[in-house]
Amino acid sequence: MNTVTAPRAVPAPSRARPWMQLRGELVLLLVGLLAFVLFPQDLGLLTNMATMSIFALSLSLVLGQAGIATLGQAALYGSGAYVAGWTALYLTADPIAGLLLGGLGGGVIAVLSGAVMLRSTKLTLVMLTIAVAQLLLELANWARWLTGGDDGLAGFNIAPLFGIWEFSFLSYTGYFYALGALVLVYFLLRNLVESPFGLTAKAIRQDPGRVQALGGRVYLHLLAVYTVGGIVAGLAGALTAQTSKVANLFMLDFSTSAGVVVMIVLGGTRRLSGAVLGTVAYMTIHHIASTLNPYHWLFIIGSMLIVVLIVLPEGLIGLFDRAVAYARQPRRSGVAR
Amino acid sequence: MTIKFVAALAVSLATISFQSRADVIKVGVIAPMSGPFSVVGQTWEGATKAYQKLNGTTVGKHTIEVVYRDLPEINPAQAKALAQELILKEGAQYIAGLYFTPDTLAVAALAQEAKVPVVIFNASTSSLLDKSDFLLRTSYTLPQMAVPVAKYALEKNVRNVVTLVSDFGPGLDAEKSFTTAFVGGGGKLLEAIRAPLKTTDFGPLMQRVKALKPDALYVFAPGGPSTYALVKAYNEAGLRTAGVRFLGTAETDEDQLRAIGPDLLGIETGMFYSATHNSALNNALIKAFGEVAPKAIPTVQLANAYDGLHVIYRMVQATDGQRDGVKALASARGYAWESPRGPVKIDPASREFVQNVYMRVVEKDPSGRFVNREFRTFEMQPDYGRTQNASK
Amino acid sequence: MSLSLLSSILIDGIAYAMILFMITVGLSMTMGLMRVVNLAHGAFAMLGGFFAATIPQRLGVPAWLGFLLAIALVGLVALLFERILLRRFYGRDDLDQMLVTIGLMFLATAAVNLMFGSTVTSVALPELFNGTVDLGFRSIPRHRLIVVGCGLVVVCVLWLAVDRSSFGIRVRAAVDNAPIARAIGIDTTKIYAATFVMGAALAALGGIAGAELLPMESTYASKYLVILLAVVAVGGNGNLFGSFFAALLLGIVETSMKYMVPQLASAAFFLTMIIVLLVRPQGLFGRHA
Repeated sequence: MNTVTAPRAVPAPSRARPWMQLRGELVLLLVGLLAFVLFPQDLGLLTNMATMSIFALSLSLVLGQAGIATLGQAALYGSGAYVAGWTALYLTADPIAGLLLGGLGGGVIAVLSGAVMLRSTKLTLVMLTIAVAQLLLELANWARWLTGGDDGLAGFNIAPLFGIWEFSFLSYTGYFYALGALVLVYFLLRNLVESPFGLTAKAIRQDPGRVQALGGRVYLHLLAVYTVGGIVAGLAGALTAQTSKVANLFMLDFSTSAGVVVMIVLGGTRRLSGAVLGTVAYMTIHHIASTLNPYHWLFIIGSMLIVVLIVLPEGLIGLFDRAVAYARQPRRSGVAR
Repeated sequence: MTIKFVAALAVSLATISFQSRADVIKVGVIAPMSGPFSVVGQTWEGATKAYQKLNGTTVGKHTIEVVYRDLPEINPAQAKALAQELILKEGAQYIAGLYFTPDTLAVAALAQEAKVPVVIFNASTSSLLDKSDFLLRTSYTLPQMAVPVAKYALEKNVRNVVTLVSDFGPGLDAEKSFTTAFVGGGGKLLEAIRAPLKTTDFGPLMQRVKALKPDALYVFAPGGPSTYALVKAYNEAGLRTAGVRFLGTAETDEDQLRAIGPDLLGIETGMFYSATHNSALNNALIKAFGEVAPKAIPTVQLANAYDGLHVIYRMVQATDGQRDGVKALASARGYAWESPRGPVKIDPASREFVQNVYMRVVEKDPSGRFVNREFRTFEMQPDYGRTQNASK
Repeated sequence: MSLSLLSSILIDGIAYAMILFMITVGLSMTMGLMRVVNLAHGAFAMLGGFFAATIPQRLGVPAWLGFLLAIALVGLVALLFERILLRRFYGRDDLDQMLVTIGLMFLATAAVNLMFGSTVTSVALPELFNGTVDLGFRSIPRHRLIVVGCGLVVVCVLWLAVDRSSFGIRVRAAVDNAPIARAIGIDTTKIYAATFVMGAALAALGGIAGAELLPMESTYASKYLVILLAVVAVGGNGNLFGSFFAALLLGIVETSMKYMVPQLASAAFFLTMIIVLLVRPQGLFGRHA
């Protein structure tokens, strides 16, 4: 029993109803707006959920779609954060510039480290990703004059978004900034995943040998996917640094990588929407559990992880899928699924 | 900006019942309640409960309620979100706690904008207080502790020294201040060793120290396994018998005394608080603490949180429970009081926390417990991190 | 490099390496023989240490007996975990296996936190282990020599028991081709259980022996996980001598840096790992996947 369901044909995106195509993005947007209206005092938490979701999406692409076993995604996330911080400190306080440069930073680290690592597979690859992240962490700690060391990089201000909307501690701007980025990234990644590029990546995950035999260049393709993942993770890091105004070493830490893996597993590894769902679920439960009784969080997350793995191997999104399938059944009477 | 804040706050406060006479003033404490540093959160919680047990829960007609939020690790984004939630949702007038510097930096930016006073219970980087006009601290800084230790070493005719610190902020602060003061007083630094934070095997490093044959070894390591391993390695390498004095800072805090025990005997440290500090106030506090939080340990965090809440009480009194960050801070500047650790004061100009630093040695008391016995007092030490930097 | 420095590096490096070996050999075996990536392995070492710290006083038995009981108890926990949970995941993705063991690691950490608090707990060693031995140019703590001895004993015992015995042959058969192994009458279920339990017991032993160098505290399992995985990856899965030499290599590299440039000790460890894995992705002694 795998988390991989039998490979099914992915329908070509229809041109007939474009707004149905965008249903994922629309749902995200609507839920985001609803959250803003219902929880105006929790915008800090909601902003973090949005940035973490972007981070989770990057991992979902790399691990869930292409099957690149990595426990070092935090290296790219942290790189993006620091680059955004340096941009704000030394170049320009414009948030979009910082965001794009942060994404670029993540992408550069990804392509450089990926070029070396991606020739290996499975456990070796996992270890290499961990080691690279660890080395980056040591380097950042050593270069205190540049990164602030373990005190963190701070003291930068972010200019108003598009020159109009200021970032205040109330997080209105911050939240919509992060939400907007999330919807945009989701849109782009979804299109990427449904394109031939994405399909090749999925094929590589399922059987690299076959793809090679068919003339595909596995290594280069994986490198491309890893780089895109790096850019997205870098964007997430940049957003976090800009909304909290601090970039710090912990963002490069192994436990940050491990945490986001747990989030996408909860939501469902094989789907991009699973990444967002998992992140939101994880952070919501963490928030509630923390307020009730912070001492036993590890018990809760450990049990939750095990339960999801046994009972819901496709993750929470699987639950949603089953509900939708069940709801659709009566209308398709007689047609076997 | 301020208009937006006031409007948002009005909306939030409208959901909290408004009693025009007596009201509840909330203090939001961001603490590590779970995870590897949960000992700190537990001690803070016990400390604030003990404070309220000894001093009551009211200031004038206002009731002070302490609310806790868990932040188990370094996560500035989360710290900011928690501070925001505490201010907007809980309506907290004061934010307190904060164990790590990066988390404090994130909250500082928020405090400056929202004009909410923040009392730091731990984060010990000197430059933090500059990040916002609304920050106060009731803990310590490493330079504040390191300089008196250097002076003590010079008094004891220590001519040369090796420093061994963990390679992170506080360790490097300690190394720098100690060395500046020690060398400035005529001593000689043989070598400065920096150990990676994750080091758990100090054997090789201690061998190196032994080969250098210094009069003293000045150490800084964060609590927990690093200190445990370091102290063991010091003893095993025979440095004590070779006559190399062990000078430290936070290595013999109460939780370490209980975990490590006999290996710590004879170690001298310079720190601002010992659970066995013999004053009426401290004795009463230890007793109350033991009653409200029997499982918590009376480390220096007890004094930090106690004094932090005391300053908040003072600020509430000065503002008569109204939200006025500027007035609150003004009342705290220059405020001096008797703390369980001894006399303390908040410097009127820099807001830094001025306190006694005691040289203590680890001994066994009559009942067989390991305690820090204070034997030398350096009075009202300022934050040398500022003065040493200023004189550059 | 002076002779005394060199010998110091070797002595301390080998002692550290022996501890790494003892803790990781179980993980290497489980991974090689069962192809399960057990990220909770550090948790077994941690539980071993904590049980060993408390059982002697609780039950009033001498230390060595307490240690044996601790190891047995960890073996029992491992058996239960394998029977009840891990078995469901044998046919599943590598990632899912890793994740269920991460879940176990969280639970173990939470349990230890609850029972023992989050401060360091020291394991009281028998009197025999305390004290130092004077070698002339330096003294070495006695327990380090004992750890080295322990490690060597473990290597020999495992070599005889696994590589050379019929049990070992059956294990390898079960791993290479489980259906056929079962067809010729090898009980794979029992073999998996036995191997997993043995791995956990070895981890517990390593944890107890190494408690002076790697102190027992509630974050032990996650803290040293990366180091443990590094040793296994460098040595190659499932290879006894691979594990041994990988531990020696990494242990001596890190220790020599500690003597020479302490700040880079940790970085050197990871750099060595990266270099070995790039040159030989299957590890020093591993077979090609």
